[in-house]
Amino acid sequence: MLIKIQNLSKTYKEKRGLLPFQLEVKQGELIALIGHNGAGKSTLLKLLAGWLIPDSGQVFVDGIDLKNRLAIVRKIGFVPETPNLFDFFTVEDNLKLFARLFQVPFSRIEEILKAFNLLPFRTNRIQVLSKGLRQRVSIGRSLLADPSVLLFDEPTSGIDFEMTKEIYRLLKAFHSSGKTIIFTSHRPEEIKTLATRIVVLHQGVLVFDGSPETYFQSDIHEKLYL
Amino acid sequence: MMIRNIITLTVNDLAIAFKNKSIFLILFIPFFVYISLTLVDEAGVDIKKINIGLIQSQQYPPVIVEAIQSADALFSIVLVSSEEQGNTWLKEKKIDGLLLRPEKENISLVLVVLKKESVLSLQIVESFSALQKAIEGTGINWISDIKPLQKGGIQRQTLPTWILMLVMLVSFIIMPAQIAEEKEKKLLLALLQTPMREIEWLVAKLFLGMILIFMAVLFLHLMGRFSFGNVASYVAFIGVGSFCFSAYGIFLGFLCKSQAGARTLGVIFYLPHLLPSALSEFSQKLSTVAPFLPSYPLFESIRSILLDDRTISTLFPAWIYLFFVGLLTFFMSYLLMKKRWRM
Repeated sequence: MLIKIQNLSKTYKEKRGLLPFQLEVKQGELIALIGHNGAGKSTLLKLLAGWLIPDSGQVFVDGIDLKNRLAIVRKIGFVPETPNLFDFFTVEDNLKLFARLFQVPFSRIEEILKAFNLLPFRTNRIQVLSKGLRQRVSIGRSLLADPSVLLFDEPTSGIDFEMTKEIYRLLKAFHSSGKTIIFTSHRPEEIKTLATRIVVLHQGVLVFDGSPETYFQSDIHEKLYL
Repeated sequence: MMIRNIITLTVNDLAIAFKNKSIFLILFIPFFVYISLTLVDEAGVDIKKINIGLIQSQQYPPVIVEAIQSADALFSIVLVSSEEQGNTWLKEKKIDGLLLRPEKENISLVLVVLKKESVLSLQIVESFSALQKAIEGTGINWISDIKPLQKGGIQRQTLPTWILMLVMLVSFIIMPAQIAEEKEKKLLLALLQTPMREIEWLVAKLFLGMILIFMAVLFLHLMGRFSFGNVASYVAFIGVGSFCFSAYGIFLGFLCKSQAGARTLGVIFYLPHLLPSALSEFSQKLSTVAPFLPSYPLFESIRSILLDDRTISTLFPAWIYLFFVGLLTFFMSYLLMKKRWRM
């Protein structure tokens, strides 16, 4: 088992967050995490990415405890909904900064720029790029250390059709290269196109865990969104 | 329609100002100025007695000593063993002035004060003049000369205030805003997804603050062509001051979620740390309040090094105090960072 989540919880004063939660993820799965706003999807991803400190529970990734941050950051790459890049720096400088911190050679930056079609924008400042391009830089940055798990929080939110297709292509490519992916989404077509497994959260509680076929045959989607 | 939109937008802007707490400055600044003005001594209100130092071994004209003793509402006599001790006590503000009797003079005395241009020196001279008039009417002035301990003009004497202003500006205005910006834009969280340790980020921020302060002080000296006094002691205090207040600024930044909030909080800390210390020499009330602020030991130490030629050996408790305040706030920032406080 690649990811083992045991009794993980995080509650907020004003929101419910995530109630004690169990999940096991095998290597190479492409999981769509769905649910209403406030269902706990982003909280779960942020807990896995180390953005939030859990109230309780344990998570192991490839046998490494999530609390061992310095080791786990090389295992998990997180792409937030809003790209968090240094706006005043260029695309290349952003990647260089993180490459230095990950201690990966600069040749990796060239690979990323090429793979994500970012070569023409390498000297552009982040602040002049569209959201789609920023998202690509953000995804590229998360791959610098070549993590085995990738977490995407609404990867296509606010992105145009062409760029959405490009993101789908990238996700499929990562999946075929053996990476484990967990992404949150509200889009049925996105879930159908990409996911190999669906996990549904409702008010911080897991209410469904199964294949896309089972999910769309059941009435859960209607109950949730219609 | 246009007016309605303007009103709508203005209300919206006010709501934003309220939300990011900028509006509190409107209340805080007048309140702070009111408190400061209340603490700055008003003329004629409860004038403090002047502590005048007399050297035990010197023979002062009896008429002057008797006059000072009789004006016990105005003066109190403090006996010192020597001129050196008198000078030390002057620097330590245990006495306000020291009377010396020049050998050649019969009746006139030399008044030694800390600063010639200060309000206190003026008050001492005026008091002596009034006392002399009341006793003798006219005659030779009792005070024939005023000797200041601190050399240099107003420019040099205001240097500690400018330095304190720079340190406070970097620490309370620049640093918290920068920290809060990295938190607000989730840049710090992005960095925490790398093998970077929390302590490394904090030390880097500390270095940023210290470098900015050192550069600002250096520019000030180069532009004003001010000398450094005792260089080693001066650098030691700028170093510990920049460490202490950069750490303090980082801590304030950690308390805030947004840049706007950090700016507001910065101003709220900036003024109370700057003004009481900088104005303490002009007000007896402020000089009793100021020592409770961490900015005061820094200000007083820099002032003593630049104006009184003192060294770190006599100011070591202040150095240690600043170091520990810096260490404490640094540690608190570390704890907040570990907890991902308001990130």
